[in-house]
Amino acid sequence: MTRFDTPKLATAVFLASEAVFFTFLIAAYIYYYGSVAKGPRASNSLDPPRTLIFTICLLASSGTVLLAERSLAARRIAAFRMWLALTIVLGAAFLCGQGWEYAGLLARNVTPARNLFGATFFTLTGFHGFHVLCGLIALSVMLILAFRRSFAQKEADGLGAIALYWHFVDAVWIVIFSLVYLTVWL
Amino acid sequence: MPEETSRRQPTPVRYFYRTFAAVHLNVLNPASPQASDLLWLWDVCWWVCIAILTVVTAALLYIPFRFRRRDNREPPQIAGNKRLEIAWTVVPILLVTFLFVSSVLTARAVDRPVRREPDIVVIGHQWWWEVRYPASGVVTANEIHLPLDSDTLIAVESADVIHDFWVPRLGRKIDAIPGRSNNVWIRATAAGEFDGACAEYCGAQHAWMRFRVVAQPPAEYRTWLDGQSAVAAEPQTAEAKLGQTRFGQLTCVNCHDVRGFHSQKQFAPDLTHVASRKMLAAERLQNTPANLRDWLRQPNVLKPGCLMPNLKLSDDDLNSVAAYLETLQ
Amino acid sequence: MSDLPLDPILIAGDRAVPTHEPWLEWIATVDHKRIGVMYLLTTLVFFVVGDCEALLMRYQLAWPGNTFLSPDAYNQVFTMHGTTMIFLVVVPLLLGLANYLTPLMIGARDMALPRLNAFSFWVFLFGGILLYCSFAAGHAPAAGWFSYAPLSEAGYSTRHGMDYWALALLGIGIGTIATAINLIVTIVNLRTDGMTIRRVPLFVWMVLVNSCLIIFALPALNAALVMLLVDRQLNAHFFTSLGGGSPVLWQHYFWSFGHPEVYIMVLPAFGIISEVIPVFSRKPIFGYGFVAASTVAIALLSVGVWAHHMFAVGLGHAWDYAFSASSLLIAVPTGVKVFNWIATMWGGAIRFTTSMLFAIAFLFTFTIGGLSGVQFATAPIDWQLTDTYYVVAHMHYVLFGGTLFAVMAGLYYWFPKITGRLLSEKRGKVHFWLMFIGFHLTFFVQHILGLDGMPRRVYTYPNLPGWARMNLISSIGAAVLALAVLVMVVNIALSLRSGALAGDNPWDAWTLEWATSSPPPEQNFESVPPVRSARPLWDLAHPEGGRA
Ligand code: HEA
Ligand code: HEA
Ligand code: HEC
Ligand code: CUA
Ligand SMILES: [Cu+2]
Repeated sequence: MTRFDTPKLATAVFLASEAVFFTFLIAAYIYYYGSVAKGPRASNSLDPPRTLIFTICLLASSGTVLLAERSLAARRIAAFRMWLALTIVLGAAFLCGQGWEYAGLLARNVTPARNLFGATFFTLTGFHGFHVLCGLIALSVMLILAFRRSFAQKEADGLGAIALYWHFVDAVWIVIFSLVYLTVWL
Repeated sequence: MPEETSRRQPTPVRYFYRTFAAVHLNVLNPASPQASDLLWLWDVCWWVCIAILTVVTAALLYIPFRFRRRDNREPPQIAGNKRLEIAWTVVPILLVTFLFVSSVLTARAVDRPVRREPDIVVIGHQWWWEVRYPASGVVTANEIHLPLDSDTLIAVESADVIHDFWVPRLGRKIDAIPGRSNNVWIRATAAGEFDGACAEYCGAQHAWMRFRVVAQPPAEYRTWLDGQSAVAAEPQTAEAKLGQTRFGQLTCVNCHDVRGFHSQKQFAPDLTHVASRKMLAAERLQNTPANLRDWLRQPNVLKPGCLMPNLKLSDDDLNSVAAYLETLQ
Repeated sequence: MSDLPLDPILIAGDRAVPTHEPWLEWIATVDHKRIGVMYLLTTLVFFVVGDCEALLMRYQLAWPGNTFLSPDAYNQVFTMHGTTMIFLVVVPLLLGLANYLTPLMIGARDMALPRLNAFSFWVFLFGGILLYCSFAAGHAPAAGWFSYAPLSEAGYSTRHGMDYWALALLGIGIGTIATAINLIVTIVNLRTDGMTIRRVPLFVWMVLVNSCLIIFALPALNAALVMLLVDRQLNAHFFTSLGGGSPVLWQHYFWSFGHPEVYIMVLPAFGIISEVIPVFSRKPIFGYGFVAASTVAIALLSVGVWAHHMFAVGLGHAWDYAFSASSLLIAVPTGVKVFNWIATMWGGAIRFTTSMLFAIAFLFTFTIGGLSGVQFATAPIDWQLTDTYYVVAHMHYVLFGGTLFAVMAGLYYWFPKITGRLLSEKRGKVHFWLMFIGFHLTFFVQHILGLDGMPRRVYTYPNLPGWARMNLISSIGAAVLALAVLVMVVNIALSLRSGALAGDNPWDAWTLEWATSSPPPEQNFESVPPVRSARPLWDLAHPEGGRA
């Protein structure tokens, strides 16, 4: 007898553990925040407005994936493919933004080795970026399937799980963005 | 090591262990108020635990025997009893509460607040202890002298990895952590020498990062301190003089400090009065002329992994340098 | 079907599959029984390896000034011993058991996510092999199983052993989390009709709680490992005091995983005991509800006690008091369990099978270990005894005398279900007594060494009065233990070939795994009996309704 949708439940449990993982990385960022006296810091190294733009991309992609699910439920395959593709584009845009940001920082010799800001910043945002990448790969697989054959219930469940994951990655970013970037304006 | 009488009568448990194990049971054989307070708590806790263990063991011996299977009839199927559950929840709660209160009392008695500069600063190095007496500027290694019956505040620090300062008969452990300074109070109430050890794993020679505490009557302690604060005596014999120059040329000075002759920062034990110390290389060797030569010949063999290199001294260098070090009373 | 002669390859054999090379079937399998068996066999091998490392240590420590092992070698050995036993033996062993038994006990056909299940196992195996590759690469990790920084940092552990250690543990951690997810989903979703949460076998109950604990504890380790790797590979300063980093933060992160971990290593063992004692006492578990609830209490408390491993750090009295209190409290729910197990035996009809003997021995040794734990939990005592052999004694009493004795009980209890053949009781009794005596011989004296001030993790020690004798006794005990383990391995090997046939339900037990053939068919059940209580098979045997 089945009580919950298995892929969704499994993903939810998985995300619980992910949440703990990020909590510890975030805690480290907060713990060391004060201890960085000189050298690069969030306030003198980051570019919040620019990052805000890419943040909006990521948040938007949460909406588009939702629409993708809706249209799949309504069996509007064309719309479904379109929303799914758009989600991937937005997610990719976010990653590119992060790559751009990293390139700039490294060019100014802001590295994990430089000081604790570098260490905590790159570890935290880097692991978030890695999660976005994994999400993109999963979504791309879905897209390929979407073009190959018409979605069966099984794939639909799979998509549901991936969407859940994708929303989680977004939520985490909202926390990171507020903590690392918005505080610059305080 | 002279056998001091414990400040407390040994309880049966300590008798049992002592006779059974023929050891001093340093932890249970205190020589300071701090250690006796800890011992008091140990005894309290020990009796609680023994009581519980006795109950459990008795049950485990009696029940299986009493209720061993005799025939094929199924026994009455009893599945629980609320009253019992409450009983064996509440009683343990009371017991642990009692333990908690006693531990708070002990903790407050053992490390009291710190409102002054430390009398002694002990700095852990891989794998030896640097000992500094800020008031008198004395620096020595692996041998800590204390005045009897006076509250001594020791600051514990580290130069590299985490170590841990522990003298079982004098009191609690305290970690030596790089970038931070911990304090521990010690008041030795029995004259004598007490084994100490590094208790936090710190690498290859953690085993030979031992030391000793010498508690002596104030007068004796003063003379020791005066002796140590003097700069190194100038060598008299020709060999020792030669040894001194070789000591400079052989790069010993790059790591070792001999106050008055040469000054460096402390990478290695201060040798100003090395000859006055009982042991060498953090208790690895008795400080005898033979052992000293042996150490200089092959520190890496006597203490594998230690940070003193084997400088492949020629026999002449060996003898002259050793002769010189022996003058450093 | 249970009457087939047993060739281990056929264990849990899915006779449906067309038989090309059997080993291929094993590698490709997603069947929870085969995966479970692979876990058990792998951990047995790692157990023997870790054991032999222990023998090396005990031989080195047998007398003072022994030069059998160089300090560097000794440090690698004790680090690998601890890491192996915890990450490659106890945890995967319990997960393997859970893997094999959970679906059977809840009347399911398989785990909820069979492919993920296979993935978990292979990741775990990969991690284990990676860890041991460090030897091949020239230098095993040598910073202890909790690798305190800065000793574990690039500046002090220059060889690559530490990196192998960190990467291996990351892999194992991910595999463990995946298994935990799988178990949770399985237990929530696949219970057979009528098996409400209050009718679930206690073993499954504890596995469920345990999995939740894994979900919340292991990510802490992964985060810490990641930061350590960033330090070592990218020269960051998370845990080195220079550059403002904090060695103490590593300890907080590690132990906020590490303490829950020690309960992760014992809860399923509690589950085994909760199955074995009732069956061999012919009574239902005493206070099912309390045993189950106390498990939850333990899990909740266990995430709030980590700093009891850090009493000597000098965090200040506030910390020490808080964590002393929470650690002491854990004694209460654990005690509730112990007393309920004892009460289960009361008034029963006790059969002295090897399994039951190990269960009783568990109660005794675990209580001793638990009580020494309580001594540490009263912080000031810990200030004296931390990092001495008293701790070594404690952890072996709870891990070996606790968890592994319980696993031995489980081994003799479920072996017939897994293989279709009973383990020899005669050899079993020898195994039991050798192990019981050898265990206490080895580890009891370590309490005394601790009280006399012998620090742990020393490759040798000065010849202080009594130390040589105590250590020699301990080493002799280890030899006896070696004999015990040999008898066990022999017993397993011989019984696999020529053990008495078990039949479906040799112990006439009450949970669902006994309602199918031994070994169970690939689909587990021909038909799952109705579940109207925690003891479905008892209900079948007593239709008139003897109470359960
Ligand atoms: C299976 C694993 C396991 C288990 C179950 C436990 C159980 C407990 N442990 Fe243990 N512990 C370890 C594994 C485990 N431990 C390991 C591996 C280490 C060493 C790590 C390292 O440094 O390498 C360690 C170290 C360790 C320390 C740190 C020691 C130090 O390094 O300084 C402490 C300190 O508080 C501690 C406490 C406890 C307590 C309070 C319990 C309690 O859960 C015990 C509860 C059980 C009982 C108390 C017995 C039954 C109860 C009754 C009969 C009821 C009546 C009892 C009372 C009222 C007291 N443990
Ligand atoms: C479940 C966990 C577990 C188990 C079972 C054991 C088992 C044993 N351990 Fe272990 N031990 C730990 C977990 C465990 N240990 C941990 C976590 C540490 C801390 C590490 C650290 O400090 O970082 C530790 C540390 C530790 C130390 C302290 C090292 C130090 O601090 O310097 C010692 C010293 O005596 C020791 C001894 C033993 C012994 C004698 C056994 C014996 O039980 C071993 C019994 C078995 C044998 C003696 C060999 C039997 C096998 C054979 C003979 C081969 C059979 C042949 C075939 C199958 C072909 N252990
Ligand atoms: C690279 C640094 C280095 C050099 C060079 C060096 N030593 Fe050492 N020495 C050490 C260290 C480190 C120790 C502590 C070893 C230990 O106990 O682990 C030590 C210990 C000693 C001790 C024992 C001190 C004590 O109180 O236990 C003596 C004596 C000694 N060295 C003499 C010498 C002499 C003589 C030379 C030159 C021939 C020399 N050392 C060169 C680093 C050095
Ligand atoms: Cu210094 Cu151990
Ligand atoms: Cu703990």
